[in-house]
Amino acid sequence: MTRWAMVADLRRCVGCQTCTASCKHANATPPGVQWRRVLDMEFGEYPDVQRAFVPVGCQHCDEPSCLDVCPTTATKKRADGIVTIDYDLCIGCAYCAVACPYQARYKTERATFAYGQASAHETQRRDDSRLAVATKCTFCVDRIDAGLAKGLTPGVDPEATPACVNACIAEAMTFGDLEDANSNVSRLLEANQHFRMHEELGNGPGFFYLWDRLEETKP
Amino acid sequence: MTAVTTTRRVPTYCYQCVAGPDLLTVKVEDGVATEVEPNFCAADVHPGGGRVCVKAFGLVQKTYNPHRVLAPMKRTNPKKGRDEDPGFVEISWDEALTLIAGKLQRVREQGLTDESGYPRVAASFGGAGTPQSYMGTFPAFLAAWGPIDMGFGSGQGVKCYHSEHLYGEFWHRAFIVTPDTPLCNYLISCGSNIEASGGVTGVFRHAQARVRGMKRVQVEPHLSITGACSAEWVPIKPKTDAAFLFSLIHVLLHEVPRERLDLPFLAQRTASPYLVGPHGYYLRDRASRQPLVWDLSTQTARVHDSPGLQEAIEGRFEADAIEIGPDGDVLADGLLPGSTAFTRLVDHMQPYSPEWAQTICDVPAATMRRIANEFIDHACVGQTIDIDGLTMPYRPVALTMGKTVNNGWGGFECCWARTVLTTLVGALEVPGGTIGTTVRLTRPMSHRHESVKPGPDGFMHYPLNPTDKAHWSPSPNIRNAYRTMVPLAADGPWSQALGPTHFSWLFLDETPKGLPRVTLPEVWIVYRTNPGISFWDTQALGEKMARFPFMVAFAYTLDETNHFADVLLPDATDLESLQLWRIGGTKYQESFWDHEGFALRQPVVASHGQSRDLTDIATELARRTGLAEKYVAAINKGAGGVPLKGEHGDYSLDLHKEHSREQIWDAVCRAASAEVSDGASAHGLDWWKEHGLATKPYPRRDWYLLPTMVKHGLRFELPYQERLLRVGTELGRRLHEHDMHWWDTQLKEYQALPVWKDFPGLWEAVIGQTGGRAQDYPFWLLTARSMQYAWGANAGSQLMNEVADNITGHRGVIINTGAAARLGIADGDAIEIATPRRKVHGRAVVRQGIRPDTLLLIGQFDHWATPLAKDFGVPSMNALATMSMDLTDATGSGADIVRVKISRAGAGARS
Amino acid sequence: MSFGPNPWHQQSWDGRAAANFMFGGAGSGLIVFAALAGGPTWLLLAGAALVGLGLLSVFSELGRPLRAMNVIRHPARSWMTREAMVAPVVFAAVALAWFTGPRAAWLSGLLAGAALAFVYCQARMLQAAKGIPAWREPLTVPLIVATGLTEGGGLWLLLASAAGPATVLPWVAFALALTARLALWLAWRRRLRAASRALAAIDRAGHAFKAATLLPLALAILAASSPLPPAALIALQVVAGALAAAGGLWFKFTLVTRGAYNQGFALSHLPVRGVRHI
Repeated sequence: MTRWAMVADLRRCVGCQTCTASCKHANATPPGVQWRRVLDMEFGEYPDVQRAFVPVGCQHCDEPSCLDVCPTTATKKRADGIVTIDYDLCIGCAYCAVACPYQARYKTERATFAYGQASAHETQRRDDSRLAVATKCTFCVDRIDAGLAKGLTPGVDPEATPACVNACIAEAMTFGDLEDANSNVSRLLEANQHFRMHEELGNGPGFFYLWDRLEETKP
Repeated sequence: MTAVTTTRRVPTYCYQCVAGPDLLTVKVEDGVATEVEPNFCAADVHPGGGRVCVKAFGLVQKTYNPHRVLAPMKRTNPKKGRDEDPGFVEISWDEALTLIAGKLQRVREQGLTDESGYPRVAASFGGAGTPQSYMGTFPAFLAAWGPIDMGFGSGQGVKCYHSEHLYGEFWHRAFIVTPDTPLCNYLISCGSNIEASGGVTGVFRHAQARVRGMKRVQVEPHLSITGACSAEWVPIKPKTDAAFLFSLIHVLLHEVPRERLDLPFLAQRTASPYLVGPHGYYLRDRASRQPLVWDLSTQTARVHDSPGLQEAIEGRFEADAIEIGPDGDVLADGLLPGSTAFTRLVDHMQPYSPEWAQTICDVPAATMRRIANEFIDHACVGQTIDIDGLTMPYRPVALTMGKTVNNGWGGFECCWARTVLTTLVGALEVPGGTIGTTVRLTRPMSHRHESVKPGPDGFMHYPLNPTDKAHWSPSPNIRNAYRTMVPLAADGPWSQALGPTHFSWLFLDETPKGLPRVTLPEVWIVYRTNPGISFWDTQALGEKMARFPFMVAFAYTLDETNHFADVLLPDATDLESLQLWRIGGTKYQESFWDHEGFALRQPVVASHGQSRDLTDIATELARRTGLAEKYVAAINKGAGGVPLKGEHGDYSLDLHKEHSREQIWDAVCRAASAEVSDGASAHGLDWWKEHGLATKPYPRRDWYLLPTMVKHGLRFELPYQERLLRVGTELGRRLHEHDMHWWDTQLKEYQALPVWKDFPGLWEAVIGQTGGRAQDYPFWLLTARSMQYAWGANAGSQLMNEVADNITGHRGVIINTGAAARLGIADGDAIEIATPRRKVHGRAVVRQGIRPDTLLLIGQFDHWATPLAKDFGVPSMNALATMSMDLTDATGSGADIVRVKISRAGAGARS
Repeated sequence: MSFGPNPWHQQSWDGRAAANFMFGGAGSGLIVFAALAGGPTWLLLAGAALVGLGLLSVFSELGRPLRAMNVIRHPARSWMTREAMVAPVVFAAVALAWFTGPRAAWLSGLLAGAALAFVYCQARMLQAAKGIPAWREPLTVPLIVATGLTEGGGLWLLLASAAGPATVLPWVAFALALTARLALWLAWRRRLRAASRALAAIDRAGHAFKAATLLPLALAILAASSPLPPAALIALQVVAGALAAAGGLWFKFTLVTRGAYNQGFALSHLPVRGVRHI
């Protein structure tokens, strides 16, 4: 069995938005739509202030609240954990958008372009099937499936790995199979302290945040 | 019928900012560039895993930006001004080049320099040398031309790491100073915002380091991106870092047992044991005129490089010697009292305790004391490490500095203190410690270690501009007078941009006494730079640009500088042009590779509209100005990045033929290939287009200068700045001999041991000088790097604008929550920032992570012509800051800091 | 302990979606009252019209309206699907009631049952939207049902006044609905762990809501217990009914368009960079 998951190391992330931009490239999302983005969060009061940069996006939950509410079955969950949207079934009711506790879903009513009119690259990648329906991070499922078909390992071989993971200049993002005890993600979770966001809501996200080494593994 | 799509991935490099070049591939679908991706083929050699940062992802939009200037244009409105419409109309390339060549020919007829001795042709390129990696063989045209004034700056030399560039290179061939991040365990960073400015390699290395456990202490007035990612944030008062660093030195010298310092390093690798005489100059051996040290084994004074020396680091001694001052004056002769430079240092640093410093920099004494002790606790004095089979000292502690700390008044003091601190624990130019990246003033630029040559007094040679009576001249070669005024700026290809580049602008209105009247250049060429936005006093700058008689601007889009141009030329931009560029070795900011070689930047897509590759433009201009042979000769000599004739082959181009862009770069490619393979291959352009890069190993031990210093038997010229004292005194004499007294304040910066001065007071004084009271302008306005925007004309990029919005501060001025509350300012409120003479408007961004007395404007905006950017409504410090002699230090730099007041917009009007 | 940037208001559902809950709930409640308390048959039509108006309104917010029929594909889990499946039953029942003569008991039961089921689906719909703390609170379900019945009762009183003063029973049912709605709102409000700005918006609307619940309640008690002249009773009926309906509609409008802040993002631990933060 496979369970694809993402691990974001909060110690590494510098908020540069390289993953944000690479996701927009890989998925040709329109202006304003950021399936992957990085937040800038500040805590405390001067002078005891801390600041963290937090990659967010669809968490591909075990129990996705979006799936339960979707009236059309456009939102489905694969056996390997990836939550998908069938754009052709979706009626664009945005119920999933208000159901998602991670604010991960977008709906763009009409085609919009960076500079008003479509530029050549926007025309080349134009996909109107994604207009007026729900869209979100797919864990670059097409790359994963194509890679697997070629015998590549998602999260290890760049060709089979989500674009954000490939692009991260801090190596803050790791992608892999939780069910494989020897995978990169499994090893990271074993060696480090981690949490999932909004754990108390019970969605079981497939997105882990590392924040410190485990005491035993510290020198 | 299903459409057949052809997809290919084209390798190229990105060098939009100084942290590059980095490597990428661009996906091209049916001839359209669609996606940027890392170049994973380079992952094994690139210290950032073959990746590129966010800005490179803006290159697709840059290529297809509908606002691009895609045809040559000519001005039809003779009146130039911010509010004057230039009336640009499209013309043909032939007409444009005829016009330009005509102007250039007239210049050649009149003489390449004017009545003041300045070049009639000026050229400005921005981005600290990065435009060179985009301008093809244009440098060959410039070289063929003759003297060119490249000193009309857009901020380089003054807003950069200026003092660090000059002093760093002087002391340890460190144009930029970096920690040895992979091995460093403790880093004190005074305002170095490396996570925003260090690019791919910087971020990549530091992320790894902090997961490994490197502790970084960020000493900075605001909680920057770097401060956020650090173990500790020390919110220091602006421009007081010298006091902070002085107090650390005090602790190491006066509170820590002497034997914990790296005494052997100090004794053998620095000038600590050199005896300083009664007039502040070294005691010298009468016969050889070499500096003397006290030899503990013979209990006599001996020359510093005598065999079998056991140098005394501390003490006061008498020696039969002479003391030579400036201009070779013998100041004393006989049995002279001398103390070691180290003893002088110890005495000098006595008053600078943490208790003294805390009242100045608003950092608790206990904190500074703790940091000093943590520094030495982590220093591993005495330990060694094996690097490539060479045993070297292991000192995993480092100190870095950023803009506003290492430039302007106080920059010298900070750079000196940082380097002295480093020497006290022997961490200079060794594994884990504080190391330099590259050289730009000494030569050869491509091989840092080869620039280490023995100079006077056991130190490295440094090509100081002459200050002796026979060779100093008040007639400078270019308008910013670097050769006359700044000995440390040297006189190499980069020196023009490292002189006081605001002087060219400042002196246009009034040239100071003694310098030839600063004239307007007949022809001004501008490429990949926007001084109308990026330099100080933007309004006045615009008015000056309007006076230039003929300005040629290579234009990506209309902007605040080319608004004043006479001709616009559309250049084939980043993904459309062809060039080969050196990569690897060691280079700023944190580009430390285990390989070196070259990478190709190639046309990913065909040039848009009528845009042309700069190589083609250069070739054409050379032909039209009768310089074709010289132009090709310059390329053969290495203007394309590699000399075409070398030990591995001769790929020189025929001087008498005209060569296409492909032919030129094919020859450069072959020469580069031969160099990289040590003669084993000579791949041409086609091979490079497919492979993108080629490298050979670069020895890890070459990251560190110490072995080379040892090899040459040289010492680091620290702590005592006897040479600078001499040179500065000589410069003063020369200036006074010519009745030039306007540099007298700057001359005081030439000290052997710098003292603390009230640096913040200098900026407060400006308020008084401009009709205000300092207490009415209580805020320090600073800037910080935006990684998403910096360089490359990214202000006009919709993608950068969109993703940058995720990082707080891009929408206005950052102000402390408490300070804002006291002023009745809420997040998002319209505000006004003012000096006594000017005001700007924007929005408030209220945050906890900034000192209550400090404001922050990220980046440099305030655009009024650049499409997209002109609608941001974000103000810039540059509209408030002035170009001022008073705020210029001895090396000719200034700093991005202004005293201001802030209020809700409209609040002033009510009262 | 949690850290995080501020929640923001959902941007997906605007007044058109709010109208679905507003009119759907009020309309269903009206049908329930009309089915059980009697009155002219056109009251059922009015109720159905409101339900229809709400559905039409939300239909106009769909991104792909031409595919609207896909909405019924997920009865296994989606309350929106179930709502869409119950709606035709409501309309069919109302049509049946309109076109047939005197109503049989089973038809009244069907009408009331279907309408109740409809408002229940709407309540479950809101509560299933886990992204909005103010909605996902479990008490949202009975609260939405209660206010729907209250609004419906209010509308019934308002509209039925044209045919003369109401009898005691509808007033009692109305009063019970009002009491339930108030009690539930108070309990719901206390349980909310929503963003401060969401609570501020809810509380602002809460004043009007409470007034629009207490005053009609007082009027209902008065009407049910005191012998008043018919004109006065009708006046009470109109005022109480209108207020109760308006209060409920305003509450639901606010809930969807002003109080629907998400929970933002939160970290349960801050990253340790190099060394544990001092």
